[in-house]
Amino acid sequence: MIEAVKLHRRFGSVVAVDDVSFVARDGAITGLLGPNGAGKTTTLRMVYTLVKPDSGEVRVDGVNSATDPLSARRRLGVLPDARGLYPRLTAREHIRYFGQLQGLDDARLAKRTEELIELLDMRDIADRRTQGFSQGERVKVALARALVHDPPNVLLDEPTNGLDVPSTRATREIIRRLKDAGRCVVFSSHVMQEVAALCDRIVIVAHGRVRAEGTVDELRAQTGMDNLEDAFVKLTTDEAQS
Amino acid sequence: MMRLIRVVFGKELRDHSRDRRSLLSALLFPLIGPLTIAMVMTLLASWESTSRPLEISVVGQDRAPNLAAFLLRNGAHLSSAPADYESKIKSGDLDVVLVVPEDFGKDFLAGRPATVQIVEDGSNNRTRRAVERTKNLLRIYGHEIGAMRLLARGVDPELAVAISPDEVDLSTKQQQAASLLNMIPIFLLMGAFIGGMHVAIDAMAGERERGSLEPLLVNPVPPSAVVLGKWLATTVSALVGVLVMLAGTAAAVHRAPLEELGLKVTFGMHEVWLLLVVTVPLLLFTSALQMLVATFARSFKEAQTYVTLVMFVPILPGMFLSLSPIKPKPWMHAVPTLSQDLLMTDVMRGDPVTTLSLVFAGIGAALVAALCLVITARLLVQEKIVFGR
Repeated sequence: MIEAVKLHRRFGSVVAVDDVSFVARDGAITGLLGPNGAGKTTTLRMVYTLVKPDSGEVRVDGVNSATDPLSARRRLGVLPDARGLYPRLTAREHIRYFGQLQGLDDARLAKRTEELIELLDMRDIADRRTQGFSQGERVKVALARALVHDPPNVLLDEPTNGLDVPSTRATREIIRRLKDAGRCVVFSSHVMQEVAALCDRIVIVAHGRVRAEGTVDELRAQTGMDNLEDAFVKLTTDEAQS
Repeated sequence: MMRLIRVVFGKELRDHSRDRRSLLSALLFPLIGPLTIAMVMTLLASWESTSRPLEISVVGQDRAPNLAAFLLRNGAHLSSAPADYESKIKSGDLDVVLVVPEDFGKDFLAGRPATVQIVEDGSNNRTRRAVERTKNLLRIYGHEIGAMRLLARGVDPELAVAISPDEVDLSTKQQQAASLLNMIPIFLLMGAFIGGMHVAIDAMAGERERGSLEPLLVNPVPPSAVVLGKWLATTVSALVGVLVMLAGTAAAVHRAPLEELGLKVTFGMHEVWLLLVVTVPLLLFTSALQMLVATFARSFKEAQTYVTLVMFVPILPGMFLSLSPIKPKPWMHAVPTLSQDLLMTDVMRGDPVTTLSLVFAGIGAALVAALCLVITARLLVQEKIVFGR
């Protein structure tokens, strides 16, 4: 479970995140939905401990991510905005490296590697060097190394960005399976249809603030709009101008 | 912590053993120095070779038969000079030409100083030795004739010698050789920088440029472990570079025609071992410095520019030392690269190296290395480094 409480962060004179709070529960998919530049990535970065909030705090399964970042990271699997791979290492070696960094022993690492290769359908590319991988293949490797320690909480920053249709569907399928396995999944996106199709709860963010929070139905009811897209536009523009 | 350092170290080694550029910079570039030494020595030897007979072209040899006989007795080969000898001197086809003027015999018999001309190209290093030897022979001939004339008049020739300078050269043959081999410390310093350069750049700036730093730091790994693992990999690569460089230098010095140069150099296992003991602490420092500098760069190319510039800063004192030897002051023995340069010069000169100065140099380098690593680890988690690309 991830709890973000009153997160604030400014960069110079720009307030990137302004009083963002949300709770993401286990066995549920929570979507951070908002236009580009809304503060989604900065919020996620504060959750995965690489950006320090000016105020507010994040608890990962009760662990304060500011005071005990290493414990928090053990409980997190992260697909960050940057998905750089090592071009001279194979896909399998990527999984192995991150598994070792997460402290997995050899037996568990070997078992987990096979599971992930199966889950992500990457049998063909497992022993190839990642130089020249397609976008879809790169995301698979990045996902595999993020999930190697079977983390209870999974953070995905725009996981389907730049993917073609089959890769997008495969990624969505994996997100659903993580939910079914009881994981707490948080992902950010600016694509409404995706969020609506996948998420149990949606947190709508714009201009660094939480505009609304709830299930798809709740959001529709809240705005009086039938269509989620209309609700989204209303929530992200109206209040900003007011 | 140790386990994590090993994991990072192992990954970097595996990664870079597959990288052509890393291998080149560790295995091939350090050979440039030894090759240069071998070539320069061979060239010098061919120029300075004393076993070559002295070739003198003479104009008007028949005007000075006794002088000619003296020169021949002293091993010179005489030939009559061609008409265009001046241009042949300029083009380097002739080493030296001796011109005996028509008045030579008349002046000689009259007891006046008889003039001979030595035609040479003063800017040609290759012929300088032949010219020197010719002048020397003429001087000896002149002294002999002068002494006989004095004797004929009943004067002791020694009266004409007021002062007899006796040259006592206190520098050993090895020290003379060292002036030529002064290049070796500089090449070794460069080897220390070049061997690990590529790994340092790729491990820091490369990681930023590829966007793999953020995923790496999301793992439960303290930044110090990441930095230490990468630093060890850089140091190993630099060490390989220096070993290649040392082996190459030993081979070059052994094959060099040192005897012909009149040099006596001992460059055996003992010297190689000493140089290694001097260099290893230096590698700790150069690797750490390169990593620190590379961390500031967003891209591989940017880092390459910085690291190459940094390479020249520590080499400058070495260059300076080899050109104008100053008496080292105690504090210099603790300054990384400067202390190593002093020690290496001592080793090359065959001077004794004290354990104390070795320890001093080692501690100096290790301390500065530690400082660089601490700063690098602090930088690595700063938001402008992790996300700034």
